[in-house]
Amino acid sequence: MKSTQPDPESQLREPALVVRGLSKTFYRRGGQPVRAAQDISFSVPEGRIVGLLGPNGAGKSTTIKCILGLVEPDEGEVEVFGTDAARHRRQALSMMSAVLEGSRNIYWRLTPRENMEFFCSLQGHEPSQHREYIEQLLELLNLSEAASQPVRELSQGMKQKVSIGCALARRTPLLFLDEPTLGLDVETTYQMRTLLRELATRQHRTVVISSHDMKVVQSVCSRVIIIKDGRVVADDRTENLLELFRRRTYTLELSGELPEEADRRLRSEFDNVDIKVLSHRTELSVEAARSEELYRLVDILREAGMAIEGIAGEQPDLEKAFLQIIADKTFCGQSREATK
Amino acid sequence: MTWTIFKGMFRKTAITLTRYAFNTGSQIVTFYIVFCLIFFGARALGGAVDMGETLEGILVGYFVWMLAIMAYSDLSWHVANEAQMGTLEQMYLSPAGFHWVNAAYLLSNLIINLIILSILLALMILTTGQRVVLDLVSIVPLLLLTVAPAYGIGMIMGGMALIYKRVQSSFQILQFVFIAFISVPIGRYPLVRFLPLAQGNYLLRQVMIGGARLWELTGSDLLVVMGVAAVYLGLGILIFRRCERVTRSRGLLGQY
Repeated sequence: MKSTQPDPESQLREPALVVRGLSKTFYRRGGQPVRAAQDISFSVPEGRIVGLLGPNGAGKSTTIKCILGLVEPDEGEVEVFGTDAARHRRQALSMMSAVLEGSRNIYWRLTPRENMEFFCSLQGHEPSQHREYIEQLLELLNLSEAASQPVRELSQGMKQKVSIGCALARRTPLLFLDEPTLGLDVETTYQMRTLLRELATRQHRTVVISSHDMKVVQSVCSRVIIIKDGRVVADDRTENLLELFRRRTYTLELSGELPEEADRRLRSEFDNVDIKVLSHRTELSVEAARSEELYRLVDILREAGMAIEGIAGEQPDLEKAFLQIIADKTFCGQSREATK
Repeated sequence: MTWTIFKGMFRKTAITLTRYAFNTGSQIVTFYIVFCLIFFGARALGGAVDMGETLEGILVGYFVWMLAIMAYSDLSWHVANEAQMGTLEQMYLSPAGFHWVNAAYLLSNLIINLIILSILLALMILTTGQRVVLDLVSIVPLLLLTVAPAYGIGMIMGGMALIYKRVQSSFQILQFVFIAFISVPIGRYPLVRFLPLAQGNYLLRQVMIGGARLWELTGSDLLVVMGVAAVYLGLGILIFRRCERVTRSRGLLGQY
């Protein structure tokens, strides 16, 4: 199981972010050293949304903080739109903003508008010259009505949107969102997905999302980087990762009993074949990865003279792919080839 | 960029102060009550408590002491508070650098503190009937040089706050240490002038009570106050930067 296909579009686009050999070990007094990031390398093309996935403690947040310069890496290089982030930190920071996990990121005594204006000024932009943009942001985030209300009076979802708004108010081309949908309800999460897509398509922002919410990642990210134990174990287009795990289980309802020869062929050519003979009909479960395999299955059944009365399949999703990659010990360390 | 950051920071500080109006008001009232207790207590004891050589000395000393407390606690309070609010990392993401964001914060607070202290000084003068010379041309530079070491100590505390987050309990001790620095008579113990606040307070008394102008003070006196300011501020900046490096290396910036 290895990831894989280079992204042809990515190769054409200018990289917004290039990370090379990033490593960070934390030394705790009286405890074992924690290798939070080990030789992490990846690049993010401009105008794309890339997902950073991994179980808790995998090293996602450390990686993001190392890129942002909030944590000093032991080794490695970070380039932001061609600028060496370690040597030209100010220039690199002028192109990056972030919403960080576990932090409130905003001032609860201030209103959403005041927060956005403050963070706009923190980036060196004069808020009076960006007032129209801030109003657009408030509208985009459905915060116009609450724009003059202190943040502490807003719901969790709205606070999260204010945090994202503040990062956007900095007007940087590269944005990091660490768990942007954490604690949000279904409706707000859906709005967030729409917003993220708009950021990439309409505002041409490059977004790196770290999230546990596979649905969000699957629906908005064109590429996914999976980190496990501080290492990149998969780095590919979302659709390619899904394709890797596209082995769908099909359940077919057949009239009559399956002949012995067909039974033998199915078991030899397909994985996880399960045949249940019921009264006057047969229920066949089989795993098939590609459409050609499904056609071959239908051919075998037709040659055996079986009539297919019904067919049902289970869709693959990123969550299953992610869980399989994380569970597969052999995956770890193989991905260096894949990410090159 | 730094001017924009300063304006943004000043606006945020001013808004926060008005939203915490009760806290701001009670801070002024507390300072005023403490001053009244010290001043009238000293008068009643007939000068047995020495916060300067005269009652005007108490007034000047108390003014310097308040500004020093505000100065040194501002930075460490800022760091601890921003870490608690989860906005400290956002400050570090400013392309201007945290030192400029911090400078903007300190300057904003200094301006607001001076406004508050001016009100308090007026109240204190009205209450006590004592007269001081308010020659701003001489007072402002001296005042800045006097509190500079307090900012240096604030930087050291701020650096500690970056690593340990909660350092406020040491504030109380420092308040009393500062009283000692201000009240020890320099004439009797000359080496004391090299401690924070001492020489500045001594010169401010000459200006505000004795009516001396800045250029009438002796060169060696001015040199000492400038040297003390530079050394303590420099030391504070050095230690703060060292603490910053430790914090970034250990990944402590976002923790509280």
